[in-house]
Amino acid sequence: MPGSLFQIGRSGAAAARASIELTAQNIANASNPDYARRSLNLRELVGVSFDSPGVLNGVRIEGVARNNSAIVQQQARSSASELARADAELAALRDTELALEQSALFEGLVEFEAVLTQLEGNPLEPALRTNALETARQLASTFQFANTTLATARGQVQEAASVSLNEANLQAAELARINQNLSTARPGTVGEAALLDARDAALRSLSQEVGIEATFDARGAVTVRIADASGAPGPLLVDGFTSNAITSSTAADGTLSFAVGSVAVSPSSGSIAGQAAALEAQADYQTQLDAIAADTIARANAAQATGADADGNPGQPFFTGTGSGDIELGLTTGSQIATAPAGSPAGSTNTTNLASLIASLGASDGPSANTDALLLGLSSRISAQDVTRTGLAAIAENAQATLLAETGVDLDTEAANLVRLQQAFEANGRVLQVATEIFDTLLSLR
Amino acid sequence: MSFVSNSTGAFYERSLTQMSELRQSLERVQTQISTGVRISRGSEDPAAASRLRTLARTERLSEVQADNADKLARDLTEAGDEALGVANLLSRARELAIRAANDPAGASGRAAIAEELAQLEEELFDRANAETLTGEPLFAGTAAGPAYIRGPGGVVSYNGNNDISSVSVAPGTDLERGVTGPQIFEFDVNGTPTSAFAILSDLSAALQPGAPNPVAAAQAAIEGLDVAIDSTTRTQTVLGTRLAWVEVIQDNQADRALTVAEQQSDLGDTDLGEAIARLQQTLTALEASQASFTRVAGLTLFNAI
Repeated sequence: MPGSLFQIGRSGAAAARASIELTAQNIANASNPDYARRSLNLRELVGVSFDSPGVLNGVRIEGVARNNSAIVQQQARSSASELARADAELAALRDTELALEQSALFEGLVEFEAVLTQLEGNPLEPALRTNALETARQLASTFQFANTTLATARGQVQEAASVSLNEANLQAAELARINQNLSTARPGTVGEAALLDARDAALRSLSQEVGIEATFDARGAVTVRIADASGAPGPLLVDGFTSNAITSSTAADGTLSFAVGSVAVSPSSGSIAGQAAALEAQADYQTQLDAIAADTIARANAAQATGADADGNPGQPFFTGTGSGDIELGLTTGSQIATAPAGSPAGSTNTTNLASLIASLGASDGPSANTDALLLGLSSRISAQDVTRTGLAAIAENAQATLLAETGVDLDTEAANLVRLQQAFEANGRVLQVATEIFDTLLSLR
Repeated sequence: MSFVSNSTGAFYERSLTQMSELRQSLERVQTQISTGVRISRGSEDPAAASRLRTLARTERLSEVQADNADKLARDLTEAGDEALGVANLLSRARELAIRAANDPAGASGRAAIAEELAQLEEELFDRANAETLTGEPLFAGTAAGPAYIRGPGGVVSYNGNNDISSVSVAPGTDLERGVTGPQIFEFDVNGTPTSAFAILSDLSAALQPGAPNPVAAAQAAIEGLDVAIDSTTRTQTVLGTRLAWVEVIQDNQADRALTVAEQQSDLGDTDLGEAIARLQQTLTALEASQASFTRVAGLTLFNAI
């Protein structure tokens, strides 16, 4: 009987000490975002016998329980995924906005209109003609500059997308490895808990890059599918112990398409989705920019074709090229600007032709109006996206807070546990002391 | 296991997010104050940014149009001055014609008058070929000039064309630059087309010694000179009215420029009073949350055990 008392006290003290160790571990990991709070599962230990009411044997440590909630994890992951998509798209669009606004294309077009209007006031003045010519040259290089900065912005997004893709593939490979380790880990051990932490951390990193759908088996091994924008089940990224790499291919207009193996996929969220959406938007803006450049070239050249220059010669093309990348000034001297209508003699002060060019450039479907529309469309899109992002950020923050409340360490709780467990340990020590005293009493019987 | 727990990590994370949000909005207000510009990039207020672009375009074009209006006003004044000179000249010619028509002048007197008329005709020719300050002929239409040339036998003929191009002086307002030579110098007398040059040179020739019936020629010329003076005065009125119109447009443009500047300021400039109040408000909120953060963060059970 006193032997049993020893056993009970010893098991209690061991359980209390193990709990204190776990509490200390929790406190140590209080600021580790990937750590889920652990607790100890205890179970009463009784011996069953046929002739007595039973033998009490104390407490048994069943295993380490890791605080986890699959649903909260899932919510945190998907909201973070959405936020990462919005962030990536917003950052790329802001770069695009900066590129197009800083190229001062609108100002360049207005200045071109202004110098032509000035020339209208004094059509034969050589200084004004030279000024108009140089402003046109400046406009051509502004178009090229806008084209270059847009290409640079596109290059940056493509670079970021390839980094994201690499990261996603790394994390997928990591998850396959963790799956393998989980299959051999003993349930209820700290090793298993650490593997599960690593699994959730990898899932979180992965879902930052690409939206995923994760399912878990009884051992905690994860099967990952890419969340496809169409809503249909996407291709398998991690299946058991193997992971499949996401590959990307770049189209001529700079947009990206993705595939896992031979299965095409368009991720619905994550940085990669945001970058792909931004690249599509940039391709659209590139088309618009080229259209504006082509329109400017067409309008200026059409006016030149119906006019005569200062020397009475038929007007030559103002610009050469077909888009924002290759637009160049076609004229060599200011006198070649065809201000007068076709057939006018040299030195004509008739500005009818110039007036029609100015009207054409300033028309409501002209280049400056279209540039304004392009900038307005872009900045409105960013503004709307910013609102969406703010909403997504709030959701993601909430989900993260819920997750932390669920799995994170609360130092006050741990402090209270520490006091409680210390008392439990001391109480168990007291049990041992009582057992000793009882034993001593029995031994000293004479 | 208690479901509701206040994770320490969550507390720090939340406080950090809140404070960095406040700091961000502080910095934005501060930038607005120090640059004086409310919208530093289009996406902050797309509609206002687009409006600002339109206003900037209007402003720039108005500047140029104002220059054009100045130049047009100068040219019109110039043309008006020349027309005034022509009117004076023709009045003098009419005086001379009246004197020649009244016989007492005699043959020698008529010869002197003929001489003066020939000179007046020269002056008229010079005035008809007058140029603007920038060197274009005033009365040649859109042609390069000179407006009038003297052909063989001293016959003066128009060398310009009848086109008058217009210049943009305000949004949607194009004004014609001036008048062509024929509008001043050429007219019909009794249904016969003639010109001021022809009248003067014919009269001058008719008053030369030996010419038949100078008095009748002088009397006939008076009628032609009246028509010539009429034509010139009409042109003066046209030029004067157009100049007045330019001035009205210039006044309007000045008012418009003010309105544009006002709108630009309304849309794009920082409202300092509002911005400073907002800065103060955010500052107070940030200070309060920092203070409460340090107090709450200091509240841990570990201090008590």
